[in-house]
Amino acid sequence: MAVSGFEGFEKRLELHFFGDDPVKMGLRLMDFGSLEEVLHAVQCTIVSAVGNRFFDAYVLSESSLFVYPTKIIIKTCGTTQLLKSIRPLIHHARKLGLTLCGCRYTRGSFIFPKSQPFPHTSFKEEVIYIEETLPAHLCFRKAAIMPSKLPSHSWHVFSAGDETHYPSDVPYTVEVCMTELDRVLARKFFRRPGDGKNGDSAGKDMTQVTGIDNINPGSIICDFAFDPCGYSMNGIDGDRYSTIHVTPEDGYSYASFECVGSFYDDSDDIIQVLKKAVQVFRPATLSVSTTCTSHDVWTRVARALEPVGLKCRSCVMDEFPAAGSIVFQTFTTRRKYTGKENDDDRGGR
Amino acid sequence: MAEEGQVIGVHTVEEWTQHLEKGKESKKLVVVDFTASWCGPCRIMAPIFAELAKKMTEVIFLKVDVDELRTVSEDMGIEAMPTFLFLKDGKEVDKIVGARKDDLQLKIEKHAPATASASA
Repeated sequence: MAVSGFEGFEKRLELHFFGDDPVKMGLRLMDFGSLEEVLHAVQCTIVSAVGNRFFDAYVLSESSLFVYPTKIIIKTCGTTQLLKSIRPLIHHARKLGLTLCGCRYTRGSFIFPKSQPFPHTSFKEEVIYIEETLPAHLCFRKAAIMPSKLPSHSWHVFSAGDETHYPSDVPYTVEVCMTELDRVLARKFFRRPGDGKNGDSAGKDMTQVTGIDNINPGSIICDFAFDPCGYSMNGIDGDRYSTIHVTPEDGYSYASFECVGSFYDDSDDIIQVLKKAVQVFRPATLSVSTTCTSHDVWTRVARALEPVGLKCRSCVMDEFPAAGSIVFQTFTTRRKYTGKENDDDRGGR
Repeated sequence: MAEEGQVIGVHTVEEWTQHLEKGKESKKLVVVDFTASWCGPCRIMAPIFAELAKKMTEVIFLKVDVDELRTVSEDMGIEAMPTFLFLKDGKEVDKIVGARKDDLQLKIEKHAPATASASA
């Protein structure tokens, strides 16, 4: 393990708003200057972007941003100060006639926690910061660290909601964090020196060569390859996004995959998508966090990953305001099985 | 009338047909920005597109609002914005989907005729 390197593990923030009048385009009408101001507070910039009838998707210098009419999702890695985006976002949303009604902040465990700036120096500091920033009417709040048997993989959650808006029948979110990527596969995310390409076209090549374009062939992909290595992509398919970010360096290799799904989908869909996504990287260790208002989705996760050689080592579940149920599972390859854990030892309800 | 160095807004189907004809006759590359007023990524690309139009006067730059010209957008298969279509001789020769700044300049240079001349 390297002494220090680029932090692949992301911080993720999701904010929900409501308007007094029926909202049409809402947050999407935020002007570019305001958006830049928000991203400047976080210390990242827009690298590429695409939109459709339902939402806008931005590839950032440090991950992704999704803007729906009443929902915004920002996911940033490295040493970005993601929580500093909350205040300017609330401010600009208010100018558009929108009021905050839900907030969810999640992240895994940092590989290099000592490199993080305030308020990300500890989960406690993060929670204090969010608590002070959120308006009082978001009165239902909860913070928890969901454990696993691996010290390198815990799931940190803070969520807050108001009295009147509860998400029902919303899509579920699946957040996958992969570490110790297969070295040969990780090499595909390095730029070849003197290839004469720019980040856009090199990104497109990586998408094809690695099979990422096959995960959901129906989606439109916005991709980018960083120099000398690293890759980001957003996929848009109707009102659904998917996103992948890769830090391929040996010693601290990391890849994330996130997507949304609906309870009404064919249950096989998410299984196939997860299988394909994980096969791109063949990690030795991964964690999956599923956020949904129904309890069924997480069982499909295990069904997707066990056939590709990953064994579930832990499973915990908890309820959070404005989010629903979050199930956090960790998996490792069979060769990592040390014999200390009990085969059928799965925690949670 | 077409002005060199400007992005031309296309507002009706007739105008669309006229501009494509002009492109065919003049043998110039036509680049079309399919955009929507409510789409954030389109707002990023608009000034970049205008800058390119100023510099590359041997290319025709058009702008189509997908709400205003729904039939044309559907005919050209526009699913996401911004989409940049590259037309030569009335036929599509290339396409960029998304606000890909580096790619846009590169592809224009690739498809613009070799005998480009910017006249006053």
